[in-house]
Amino acid sequence: MEQVLLVRYGEIHLKGLNRPFFEQKLMQGIRHSLDPLGFPVKVKQDQGRIFVFGLPGQAMEEAVDRLSRVFGIHSISPAVAVEKDYAAIRDAALAMVGRRLERDPAIHTFKCFCRRSDKRFPMRSEDMNRELGHDILEAYAMLSVDVHHPDMQVWVEVREQAFLYSQEVPGPNGMPTGTAGRAALLISGGIDSPVAGYLMAKRGLELSAVHFYSYPYTSERARDKVVDLTRLISRYAGPIRLHLVPFTEIQLTIYEKCPPKETTVLMRRLMMRIAEAWARQDGALALITGEALGQVASQTIESLCVTDDAVSMPVFRPLIGFDKEEIISIAKKIDTFETSILPYEDCCTVFVPQHPVTKPSVEKLRASEALVDWTEMIEKAIKDTETILVNSR
Amino acid sequence: MIYLDNSATTRTLPLAAQRVLTAMTEDYYNPAAAYSPAVAAERAVNNARMTFASSLGVTAEEILFTSGGTESNNMAIFGTLSAIRGRGRIIAGASEHPSVYEPFRRLERQYDVQFACVDGEGKVSLEGLERLLSPNTLFVSIMQVNNEVGAINDIPSISRLIHMKAPNALFHVDGVQGYLKIPFSGRDFDFYSISGHKFHGPKGVGVLYVRRGVRFSGGQLGGGQEKGLRSGTTNVPGILGMEVAALEYIKNAEAYRQRMLACKQRLYEGLLRLPDVILNGPPVEAGAPHILNMAFLGVGGEVLLHALEEKGIYVSTGSACSAHKKGKNRILNAMGVTGERQEGAIRFSLSPENTIQEMDETAEAIGSILPMLRRFRRR
Repeated sequence: MEQVLLVRYGEIHLKGLNRPFFEQKLMQGIRHSLDPLGFPVKVKQDQGRIFVFGLPGQAMEEAVDRLSRVFGIHSISPAVAVEKDYAAIRDAALAMVGRRLERDPAIHTFKCFCRRSDKRFPMRSEDMNRELGHDILEAYAMLSVDVHHPDMQVWVEVREQAFLYSQEVPGPNGMPTGTAGRAALLISGGIDSPVAGYLMAKRGLELSAVHFYSYPYTSERARDKVVDLTRLISRYAGPIRLHLVPFTEIQLTIYEKCPPKETTVLMRRLMMRIAEAWARQDGALALITGEALGQVASQTIESLCVTDDAVSMPVFRPLIGFDKEEIISIAKKIDTFETSILPYEDCCTVFVPQHPVTKPSVEKLRASEALVDWTEMIEKAIKDTETILVNSR
Repeated sequence: MIYLDNSATTRTLPLAAQRVLTAMTEDYYNPAAAYSPAVAAERAVNNARMTFASSLGVTAEEILFTSGGTESNNMAIFGTLSAIRGRGRIIAGASEHPSVYEPFRRLERQYDVQFACVDGEGKVSLEGLERLLSPNTLFVSIMQVNNEVGAINDIPSISRLIHMKAPNALFHVDGVQGYLKIPFSGRDFDFYSISGHKFHGPKGVGVLYVRRGVRFSGGQLGGGQEKGLRSGTTNVPGILGMEVAALEYIKNAEAYRQRMLACKQRLYEGLLRLPDVILNGPPVEAGAPHILNMAFLGVGGEVLLHALEEKGIYVSTGSACSAHKKGKNRILNAMGVTGERQEGAIRFSLSPENTIQEMDETAEAIGSILPMLRRFRRR
């Protein structure tokens, strides 16, 4: 008898000839995620399932927790593998049921789900269901069968070996990390941008992140907070290159030289430019922002047009149609919310105009931007950027 | 580097750190144990008890060692109220430190909790307190020195008021910012809190004075240390290190006060030469010698703090415990200090290690930063 993890995957099933590529990436993601546990793990793929061997019993719980953050996984079941012999299957099933009952005394009913992928196995699925159910009933008098709403499901899959499990932990779904290329996330320290990064990473993107700080108008703690948030995203997205860009000089220049109403949207344009430069450097093909339509003045449809005009890369805005509450509920789910709401100044309220434009025009903003030659300042900001590799795994 | 945040914490005196080290690596025994090195450790702790007792003019039996100011304050409040059991009024100053203010807020459901107003300088108003004191008042807690503006409360007068108007009330004084910093006024109270790291001792250790005979049930339960009032293995290194720091301070107390006051005055005069700078709190010579709070109008205090940090000068915008919390400053609010005077407030807190030259450099640095910061104001 051996403990294994049985991993199911979702959307990859829809792939055709390149399906093996996605499966390889998923197995790689699983290995990376389990590496830090320090066990010689074997990851195998068989008929639409992935099996993880080599983990001792006491590491199962943490392994399942880690896999529940690996994109591409639909669900995970801690299972036991035994030889394809009914007596062995029965013994393993009785032991498994016993363990479940010990931990959860509220279990009163069960149902067996036997599945015979290996048709050479002599018992038919239906027969095994009946036989195994009978044996469990005999061993545990307090249990009864409920085929409609069982408290506990007892699964047996007969493949290369027989696999038994009774629990299914949901994974995050999505596509395996590294199957969709790379994009650069503009991360502020607020609630939205970490969620945006998570959602795009979920589609298989690897991430770079770009953060702008304005010392002394923002504090060093605000910077640490962004590093913390990036680390939380990297629990899902894998290693992230985080670029910390000094932005004070550009902000002060905007404040002095440009029309007050337009400062925010001008600032956005310049941030996008610098982010695009870092994206190119990292081999990223798109930018990601946490903007949601209409949330603030710089997120009206006109403002977004003006922002997009500053760059040539596509800008992914996964939150564009989300309400704040929807964003918050995802932030809570991925554990970034509590960090996001720590009260450090991010983009310096000093520079936020009282009455920003809500319907800026591309032509006017181009003209305002042209009041200053930004080339040197942008180059300097890029030159003085600090880059760190953030990896929580 | 110029360190002007000594109300947040101080540099540990090297001699005190030395004592901590030897108490950890050489005479590291548990004073509760039976063999002779342990007895020696117990004696050393009891010597320290006498040091603190005599510095307060009380007896060694009345000194409890704690983990610091917050625990001392919490224990005075909860340890007393749980021993009294009755219901009635409890009063604290409106400008108390969070380690008094928050316990009082939590007690609002069980007690008639009142906060005594403070005047524009940050002192508890005697008239205001007198109005609140009543025969059913159980407990009063007032700080000796306000940690944000350096206002000194008139503890003897407050004590007399309490005796007249609320003879049953027990009186706690939070001495965390006052101990050794201002001349001492005798036994005017039932409880007094001390924190070791505010006078160059180590962090994580403090004192609570508990007057003999008052009803008091103490704090955490366990092995019965500190006469059963504060269980937990005795923090010998912390206590002995704190004692070394206290002895050094006591020896030089008057000289230290004069030195800090001279520095404070120098800094104040230097800053007053700059445009639109206002004092928050009491007149310079009337306040504690080590705390100066100034408002720089038209500037965000936090921005000025970070700009000074770039020049190697460390100051505070409020007590360090609240620097993480956003929003209005409760203590300045209570004093009626609002708007630009609050947003632009900076606290400079001194130690005997500071020099006149550092004051000049600080004033000069601020003078050079202010015009730039004021050019970029929110519009």
